Amino acid sequence: MDFSALQALAASNDWMAIFPEVLLGCLALALLVLEIVLPKSLHSSLPGVALFGVLAILPSQLLSFSVGFIEGDSFNGLLHHSYEGQVMRVFFLLAAVLTCLLGTVSLPRQRVPRTEFYHIVLVVTAAMMLLAQSNHFVMLFVALETVTIGFYILVSYFRGSPASLEAGLKYLVMGALSSAVLLFGIVLLYGVSGNPMLAEHTATGMNFDSLSGFLAAHPHDFLASVGIVLVLSGVAFKIGAFPFQIWVPDVYQGAPTPVTAFLAVGSKAAGFIVLLVLARTFSAYAWLTVPVLTLMAGATLLFGNLAALTQHNVKRLIGLSGVSHAGFLLLGVVAAATVPLGYGAVYFYLFAYLLASYAVFGVMAHVAGPDDADQELAHYAGLYKERPFLALVLAIGLGSLAGIPPLAGFMGKLFIFIATFRAGHYGLLGIAVVSVVISIYYYFSWIRAAFFESWTPPADEASARPAPTPVGLTAGVILGVLAACTVILGCYQGPLGMWLSGR
Amino acid sequence: MAHVLFNCFALLTIAGAVGVVANKNTVNAAMCFLLSLVGLAGLFVQLDAYLLAFVLLLVYAGAVVALFLFIIMLLDTQGRQKWDFSKLAVFTSLVAFGLLLAGLGTFVKRGQLEAPNPNAAGGVGAALKPYAYQLFTTYLLPVEVMGFLLLVAMLGVIVLSRKAGAGEDAP
Repeated sequence: MDFSALQALAASNDWMAIFPEVLLGCLALALLVLEIVLPKSLHSSLPGVALFGVLAILPSQLLSFSVGFIEGDSFNGLLHHSYEGQVMRVFFLLAAVLTCLLGTVSLPRQRVPRTEFYHIVLVVTAAMMLLAQSNHFVMLFVALETVTIGFYILVSYFRGSPASLEAGLKYLVMGALSSAVLLFGIVLLYGVSGNPMLAEHTATGMNFDSLSGFLAAHPHDFLASVGIVLVLSGVAFKIGAFPFQIWVPDVYQGAPTPVTAFLAVGSKAAGFIVLLVLARTFSAYAWLTVPVLTLMAGATLLFGNLAALTQHNVKRLIGLSGVSHAGFLLLGVVAAATVPLGYGAVYFYLFAYLLASYAVFGVMAHVAGPDDADQELAHYAGLYKERPFLALVLAIGLGSLAGIPPLAGFMGKLFIFIATFRAGHYGLLGIAVVSVVISIYYYFSWIRAAFFESWTPPADEASARPAPTPVGLTAGVILGVLAACTVILGCYQGPLGMWLSGR
Repeated sequence: MAHVLFNCFALLTIAGAVGVVANKNTVNAAMCFLLSLVGLAGLFVQLDAYLLAFVLLLVYAGAVVALFLFIIMLLDTQGRQKWDFSKLAVFTSLVAFGLLLAGLGTFVKRGQLEAPNPNAAGGVGAALKPYAYQLFTTYLLPVEVMGFLLLVAMLGVIVLSRKAGAGEDAP
């Protein structure tokens, strides 16, 4: 038995390269152990352990920028540590911190187990971080399934509420369908690239570098193009782009508010980084991917904004507006095929979206009552008089989502529009500008409810408004920081802007 | 000989799949699914993918179908009324079916592969030993992630199915 060959194969399993993910996994396991070991009176400190644990992992992730793994492969090419991948790891860690924070606000109102929620959030975050660096279809699929299966549970977490269970079931069915579509596409690509009768065939067709080499040698293969369209469709399901967006409103409404936020920001960002990596891998098939993604972007923008116009439930509204944000991001992906600025624009947009979305979701988590699915626009009437801090954070968050000038969301949209303009997609640009105008209408009807309307209690008890939860110290500080960052990032882009222009 | 066997197994697979959809009795449908899987395993054997055929029978026929049968017996789904489709649903499914047929037609017409070289080396999934080597060297990271996936799935079952009031933190 010759072990040296095996050792050589295992030599590039460099666990230091995924140090933050390993730490996250350990923290997740530690939470479960602590729940058993600690006495019941200390259980209320576990969410804090999760939140500050992730905050403590953040510096170790920032350190990995200086370690020698950047722009290198590890785990036999399963992972590629690009600079963007590192930036997105920070993004997912931030999303995890904020989701844990929302969890501490929303979960205590329900009769549900607590610790498991934070455990699943941490594992899902680690999987998203691996997803952002995957360079191989096997790694991509395993990480994606870990994310998706975690979300099946998180979405139906408030199992006492029929809406949450219904959302979980819908997400399960649609998620399974999209995984099947994605897998079929992967299999087709692997099969075609491994055909020994074709030139440049490769035994490692799952690896993005090998696959990209094969595709460059056969730029018009029929089976490969079917595979590419199927893979893109599978990813489009995850980001909620147009023909695959039907699950979005129901799932967003039924899911617990922290999960809706995580789904809207984390899951969408994960989908987009996969899409960017895949678009680069499929660059030889730009004749196919660019028209497909262009159509998808235009339809997504129009559908998301027009459907959001008629909504009264704020979770449905934010879900459908999330569809339109997916449209803006798709614009960046389309532009990135020809203009390198597109990549930076997508990442900047994602960061601006993270800050603004979590600010809005933070306010939603405080305003929501015991029935988490029932959050109407009318419940926000008079918010400014009763809780000026929450109303201000809400206004800054919504303004940024709508793209009002001094805020980060405006800069994000501007970068995307510049990239689209340079790439020459003028039709798409027109649709996008119209979409911005439409979106301002529904975002401002929300702001109007919070600032200019006063609450008149209805005659019947059933539609009474829940009283807002008091804002805790940690939640208050973090919401304030989110709002402040949104303003600062809008006026001064700093290193992020440098990173954009340096590309 | 190989062609005859291929046709037999392919027929078995398709007939089983049709049986799953067409059968009104859910137990019979599950049995048809089993039949379809056996046919599929036969096709894999013909492609020299013995391990895949074995795993398919072991996991699906052995575990998954047994699970289906348990659930069918627990739920007692016999004697429910027939599906009542609206006109719109019928129309949409017909359109979708037409699209599927068109797609399949193009696939058959344009997706022909050249006959592969009979001397080509088998994939790593063909036999157990190279497969296991690959799994614990090259693909070690996905295997580890899979462990977390299973843990999360198990936790999910516990969280979602625990009896109301047990082990929950009060609001």
